[in-house]
Amino acid sequence: MSFIKRAGLYCFRQRFKTVILFLVLTLIATFMLTGIAVRDAAKGATANVQTAIGGKIMLDLDTDGHMGGGQQNQWGTVYGYNGDLITQEIVDAIGKVDGVVDYNSEDTASYYGAGVDFKYLPAAFGLSYTQYGEASSYTATLSSEKCSKFQSGKYKLVEGRHITPDDKHACLISKELADYNKLSVGDKIKMYSLDSDAISEFEIVGIFDGTEGTSGNPLTVDEIPANCGYIDYATMFELFKKELNGYQQLTIYVEDPVSIQNVYDKISALPELKGKTLKLSIDTDEYDVVSTPLESLQQLVNITIIIISVVSVVILTLLLTIWIRGRKKEIGILLSVGKSKLNIILQIFTETIVVAVISFIASIPFSNLIAEKAGAFLVSRVTTGTANLDVQINAAYLLPLYLIGILLIAVAVIASSWTVVRSKPKDILTKMS
Amino acid sequence: MSIIKTCNVKYSYDGNRNVLKNISTDFEVGKIYAILGPSGCGKTTLLSLLGGLDSPSDGQVLFQGEDIEKKGLAYHRKNNVAFIFQSYNLIDYMTPAENVALTSKLPPLPILERLGLTKEEAKRNVLKLSGGQQQRVAIARALASDASVILADEPTGNLDEDTAVEITNILKECAHQMNKCVIIVTHSNELAKQADVILKLRKGELQIADIPDTDMRKGWKS
Repeated sequence: MSFIKRAGLYCFRQRFKTVILFLVLTLIATFMLTGIAVRDAAKGATANVQTAIGGKIMLDLDTDGHMGGGQQNQWGTVYGYNGDLITQEIVDAIGKVDGVVDYNSEDTASYYGAGVDFKYLPAAFGLSYTQYGEASSYTATLSSEKCSKFQSGKYKLVEGRHITPDDKHACLISKELADYNKLSVGDKIKMYSLDSDAISEFEIVGIFDGTEGTSGNPLTVDEIPANCGYIDYATMFELFKKELNGYQQLTIYVEDPVSIQNVYDKISALPELKGKTLKLSIDTDEYDVVSTPLESLQQLVNITIIIISVVSVVILTLLLTIWIRGRKKEIGILLSVGKSKLNIILQIFTETIVVAVISFIASIPFSNLIAEKAGAFLVSRVTTGTANLDVQINAAYLLPLYLIGILLIAVAVIASSWTVVRSKPKDILTKMS
Repeated sequence: MSIIKTCNVKYSYDGNRNVLKNISTDFEVGKIYAILGPSGCGKTTLLSLLGGLDSPSDGQVLFQGEDIEKKGLAYHRKNNVAFIFQSYNLIDYMTPAENVALTSKLPPLPILERLGLTKEEAKRNVLKLSGGQQQRVAIARALASDASVILADEPTGNLDEDTAVEITNILKECAHQMNKCVIIVTHSNELAKQADVILKLRKGELQIADIPDTDMRKGWKS
């Protein structure tokens, strides 16, 4: 009788042990499969974050030692930056660098406008230093979508569209301010700028929310986030032709954060930047905020998988050791009828593998059920909710996983059966009698 | 014709005191050999050495003139010898037919039927059979292997008198009609009297005791 037939008979006749082994192996396989699915999902999510967020390179004015000697006015000495600005020529050159996907300039509070035909949400002081009342601040930008508050998710566009580099006399206002003045997308508002001493007309191209409940106890209108908005850069250049010959800051978006250093080096080497008082730096903060927890999750799951593997082998070895010691008589009989030790080990291995294969198949639906919930739970524990895991049992890693499983079972079978099988048949049979 | 032979076989459990001392004996086919001796004298050890369950500390066991270690003890156990134990040593999750099939590719039912088991009994779990039936299964397994030498360790030790007689007759049939060499280790004088050759193991030495007289044989039920 072959060892395969003997193994089949054992599995079928010793049903209780077979069921116990099935449950143990199913549990182990489910844990392993779940762990690997979550780890792979975290890996995939990290890659997605890389693509979605990308990397950023910041080009700023180098103010160190370039603030001039200062000018006296009625308030005292006023220092102003007297170095190079980020000109359109520089921006255009950067835009052509391989690996750069986009850029944006975001100059916070660069424009102060008093409402000519609308009112700001009032602040405590109720100042009126212009004939149109108090002025609030606006961020000048090329693409409002890429501004930090929209990128972080703090602000969300609820109506209309974002400001783009082609816009002129366009603005974004908060939903609170729009509701306060009954304004909507497409309406035009007039603002007076004390700096340029001019009234400008802006079209509301979009309305955003996210400012609610963030006012605190403001003293001036520009301390109320709902009063602060966004305008396009083209209007800024038009209003401040004399003073403004370039951008104050430029955020450069790189396709792949992994190759960010390469892009940085290319930009640094641009002749347009040579000798300019500008600072170039890599900013991966946004990517790091999202990817670091995901990488931690991967490490956590990796450690868990290793622990599960070791514990599984130990549990399986102990279980098989106990059972095989109870099968000493059978092993002695098989040895006495001339079955080799290898033949006996192969029988025990086959018995375990037959059950393991069924367990592996059974673990797939169980793992599918558990993995998604486990992934969502882990993400909620280790990330700030900015990442989502698409946890799926992938057929691609089933085969290698099961091959590893079979190897671990082989180790457990050899370890547990060795003490009995290495004994002399006479000793086994003598002890039996 | 000598089929299995011991040459100056010595055996020691601890390396100091030899349980078996220079045992040299020939065993022939067509005969039953009974090995008698007090408990602990080394009878079962000698049987284990003949069956390749263990190796002698010194000396050789030859099967058809060849050292059994040459082709390996597992080969010897598989092809040359078959064991019958006092405690039957059947695999408990198998039926009698499956136990017999362990050693043979031949259909087990004819052998079991020849030894008095019905078809139904042959398909039961072995633990549901009586002691006598289980020993018949063990003998059937030995016969199915087609080995030339049958080594029986107290084969009737656990059986009642009538069943013991039946089992003894089967062993005699194995030797005399199937031309096998049957070597029995026993405490039973009754069983020993049915042997063709009685060997006594005393103080590690094997002596041919006698050929049992024919009157005693006549008294044995056949």
